[in-house]
Amino acid sequence: MRFVRQHLLVVPTAVLTVVFFVVPLGLIAVYSFGSINPVSLDVFFGWTTNNYRAFDSSLYLHSLLRSIFLSVGATAICAVLGFALAYFISRQPPRAQRLLLVAVIVPFWTSFIVRTYSWVDLLQNLGPIDRLAGATGLTSGNLSILYTPTAIAIGIVYSYLPLMVLPIYVSLERIDVSIYSAAADLGATPWRQFRKVVLPLAMPGVIAGSIIVGIPALGEYVIPEILGGGKTLMLGNILADQFQTTGNYPFGSALAVTLMGILLIMLLILRRRAPLQEPAA
Amino acid sequence: MNIRRHPVSAALAALVIAFLWLPLIAVMVNSFNRDSIMASWGGATSKWYGQALRDHDVREGLKATLIIAIASALVSLAVGVSGALWWRRAPKRARAVYDGLVYARIIVPEVVFATAVFFLFVRFHFRLGLTAIIIGHSVWNSAYATLIVQARLVGLDPSIEEAAADLGATPWRVFRRVTLSSLMPAIVAAGLLAFTFSFDDVVTSYFLQGTAQSPLPIVLFGLIRFRLTPEVNAIGVLVMVFTVALMSLAVTIFATAGRIGRSERSAGFLDMYRR
Repeated sequence: MRFVRQHLLVVPTAVLTVVFFVVPLGLIAVYSFGSINPVSLDVFFGWTTNNYRAFDSSLYLHSLLRSIFLSVGATAICAVLGFALAYFISRQPPRAQRLLLVAVIVPFWTSFIVRTYSWVDLLQNLGPIDRLAGATGLTSGNLSILYTPTAIAIGIVYSYLPLMVLPIYVSLERIDVSIYSAAADLGATPWRQFRKVVLPLAMPGVIAGSIIVGIPALGEYVIPEILGGGKTLMLGNILADQFQTTGNYPFGSALAVTLMGILLIMLLILRRRAPLQEPAA
Repeated sequence: MNIRRHPVSAALAALVIAFLWLPLIAVMVNSFNRDSIMASWGGATSKWYGQALRDHDVREGLKATLIIAIASALVSLAVGVSGALWWRRAPKRARAVYDGLVYARIIVPEVVFATAVFFLFVRFHFRLGLTAIIIGHSVWNSAYATLIVQARLVGLDPSIEEAAADLGATPWRVFRRVTLSSLMPAIVAAGLLAFTFSFDDVVTSYFLQGTAQSPLPIVLFGLIRFRLTPEVNAIGVLVMVFTVALMSLAVTIFATAGRIGRSERSAGFLDMYRR
């Protein structure tokens, strides 16, 4: 009885997590080895690896590589821009720091759809960026960025940049300022101070930021749908299509398992670089 | 090395801030643009706001979104808070499993989670619709809720509860007057946060809506896939104002709750971000 009472509190979490998280993920892991009858759409279990062979086809392999390239690239750009901004913010007086942090966070709080959509306005031909490029003589004719991988990369960097700035800021803000003077007094050049003192101390923040930016970027669905115009696809879109339109559940499941696999590899690489600082608790 | 006045660093920071704000400013400006294809400035008008507020799909979508967000916030709180209270007294191994599943719910890409749950519902002939969306949102929302409450529980000294019990308070009274009341800021913040995440969600809702009324973000998603319309800018601005107000409230409550150390506060602050 005591046991029951003690563990009663975990029942809601356990039910929700097991039934609607563990079971569905297990289900797709199992189905990814099944096969489907193309006419009746019945699923058979023959423990086949055929669903994973689809990556022999260049269409899927390309979208897989594109997803990895776009998410890693966008994360790297976020890290550079985020570091520059976080470093500047951390060196300001406290009041200015707070103001600047709000300026970073508020865009992140606005509707995700609207934030992504705003780039359609900006990037379209005859839009402000296209006109600016034409007026300054950078391009002759149209820029035509919208609905290309570049547009998707811009969208990802834009949407996730605040998530990179904050953890880097937190790790930089903890640094005792006197450590800089110490390095300078000992004769380190500004560049050397940056490379040998600032960068190593900021690394946990960069790693944490890369995890919170890189993971959702890899499985991104909405941004390629809007800024890729349904033409440039990432793994998330092809995966979603298998469930929404094609109805090839085993293949969709194999894509989902593949995505999870890549994600785990990325996580392991990042965690090896520096121990993941788990927030809270 | 006086970085505070370092011109290159300041210029770079200004550029990044401009990059973050210009698209939003463009949306705000265009929401008042009379020119319906937004090719140039056609004078100011507020007619798009009127049109947005009269649009049947938008109104029904907003209604559905509010129902989903409120229900999912309440479910997530019930699940997240009870879980965190259990976690506080749980054996070490069980705690590790609990924490692992909390992080897993946050880290699994939403498109994988959404398709998996969609598949579960289809496979076992559960009905898709509002309830399905509420359940789906609660899976990840409860993980955030539990993290926020856990952060607060760690700072709660058990000796206060023991003192209350020693002074003759019944267990229920101790729970209500000490435990729950000191968790209140975290509970309110977690609830507001869950509401906002749910309010803004696209992917999970998209897969679990079935034939039910689409929530507002999906309505917007549908609108912009067809064409550019200034009405979307107006809806965007309205949603923006609403979300920013709510999030500010959540953070203010969480940050000013006191008794949270400086470093813990930064960590808790970061928990508020997802995706």
